[in-house]
Amino acid sequence: MSGDTRNELREAVLESLRMVIDPELGENLVDLGLIYRVDVDDRGAARIEMSTTTKGCPAAAYLKDAVHSAVWIVSGIEQVDVLLTYDPPWSPEMISGAIGHKFGAGSGGIRR
Amino acid sequence: MIGASLSRWTMAFFAVSLVCLILAETLMAVGYGFPSHAIEAPETLVVVHLVAIGWLSLLMCGALFQFVPVLVAKPLWRPFLALPVLACLMAGLGFLLAGFLQLAGTLESDLPFLILGGCLLPLGFAMAIWILGETLWRARPLPLPARFVATGLICLLVLAFLGSLFAHLLSGWIPAERLAAERGRLVPLHAAMGIGGWLTFSAVGVSYRLLPMFMLAPDHERATSRWVWLSGSAALLALGLGVLLELALGASTSLSFGVAGICGLVALVLYGTDLAFFYRHRKRRQLELNIKASGGAFAALFASALLCGVLVASGTLERHVGALVYLVFFGWLSGLALSQLYKIVPFLTWLECYGPVMGRKPTPRVQDLVAERRDGPWFILYFAGVFAATGALLAEELTLFRLGSAVVCIATLAIVVELVLARRLANVSASLRLPEGTRLPRLFMAASGGR
Repeated sequence: MSGDTRNELREAVLESLRMVIDPELGENLVDLGLIYRVDVDDRGAARIEMSTTTKGCPAAAYLKDAVHSAVWIVSGIEQVDVLLTYDPPWSPEMISGAIGHKFGAGSGGIRR
Repeated sequence: MIGASLSRWTMAFFAVSLVCLILAETLMAVGYGFPSHAIEAPETLVVVHLVAIGWLSLLMCGALFQFVPVLVAKPLWRPFLALPVLACLMAGLGFLLAGFLQLAGTLESDLPFLILGGCLLPLGFAMAIWILGETLWRARPLPLPARFVATGLICLLVLAFLGSLFAHLLSGWIPAERLAAERGRLVPLHAAMGIGGWLTFSAVGVSYRLLPMFMLAPDHERATSRWVWLSGSAALLALGLGVLLELALGASTSLSFGVAGICGLVALVLYGTDLAFFYRHRKRRQLELNIKASGGAFAALFASALLCGVLVASGTLERHVGALVYLVFFGWLSGLALSQLYKIVPFLTWLECYGPVMGRKPTPRVQDLVAERRDGPWFILYFAGVFAATGALLAEELTLFRLGSAVVCIATLAIVVELVLARRLANVSASLRLPEGTRLPRLFMAASGGR
């Protein structure tokens, strides 16, 4: 798989992840800065690092499953690995500018 | 899994507690209990325990079974014991109330209702303390909000022991004359452990987690918050030790009560600064109704402290203690509880119904389960009724108090109807209401598949 194709696949994964909303904040996980990392390798294996707004959140397992499903449906993805992490803990500063006007300015977005 | 699961019985705890609240408010509106009856009369004890145990303690137990795992990021220990806790507390409360009705002469029966209540209630609370205490113990070192809950649970232990003692005394099982003098001192301690320790301390602890979460405010542990816990705990300890020393050695309580008062005041002022900090540093500009309505509860908390100070300074505390307790019960504790239920019930309902299809089907937001614009006035009416009823008690205007209580009861009923509508997904648009793979949640019990 070429670098361009990998990048396209990665963008498609991000787009699909925008379908998953945090139930409490009502916004998608990508813009909320809850998707920490998205990696896609040559074989179409995706590895996602994500968090939730609070550690111990009762929605955590549902959100992790939802992220898995949203990535799995992307054409070209052969394997999905989702890691839930609280290192670093999420903070409102991670919210991206796209929805920042609702929550105050944030520098957010995923780390590339 | 890092995280918590849906507590299966929490909604049942909430349902029973709300029924008790409406029952108590109706009794007050029709003139049953204080101020129509004396403050120590069995009729008043019916209303007070319906509120303190039936409404607030059941609600707190149900809420803690759901939120202690969130506070410590560990699953609840032996969650299946929640149902026996509910059964014991419901039966125990029923027997206790029947016992009070026996004392009032309303219920004629030879059955030892007070003894049964005085055994089942401590058993239920002991199980709740066991479940929550073990969950906290396994999660050491505890984050600050959980330390508040731990202190609240210790107070619950003292509260339940004293409550059981009183029930046995009132039943005549322990000869009343043996502890006649001590009872006068232990009743205020019982009330302080219940209102200040178990209910207020636990509520403050949970608020330290929920408020930053709902307002998107910084939730790191602040020095002021640590001092709230330390000074509040010191106040409760000074109160308990003061009464014990008086009973054991005949020592004066003035020093310990003075220390308790100062420590309590410090805790309250610092809690106020923390609330202001969350509000000022919040990222969520448009506050939701649960947070706006909580403002009424916080106003009632600080108004209660002010009222307490004025009553102590004017030497009229004994005369107006009913008004003070009413404001704390209905303004602070019930106001906060109803406000937060307005968020918690839709949130848990959302998770139960839409959690399993999240990311696979379009789903509504949690906010779509309620109609904030329609419900805001009910909260305004609720707090207006509470403050009016408190004023009526201070002015000793019985009719006005019943009118205020009726307003509070109507507003509560309306809020409860809205919670039922949220649970039935009645406010969600038809296109999003029940996507394939979902089903309507049961009113009183979360699905067993909840994680």
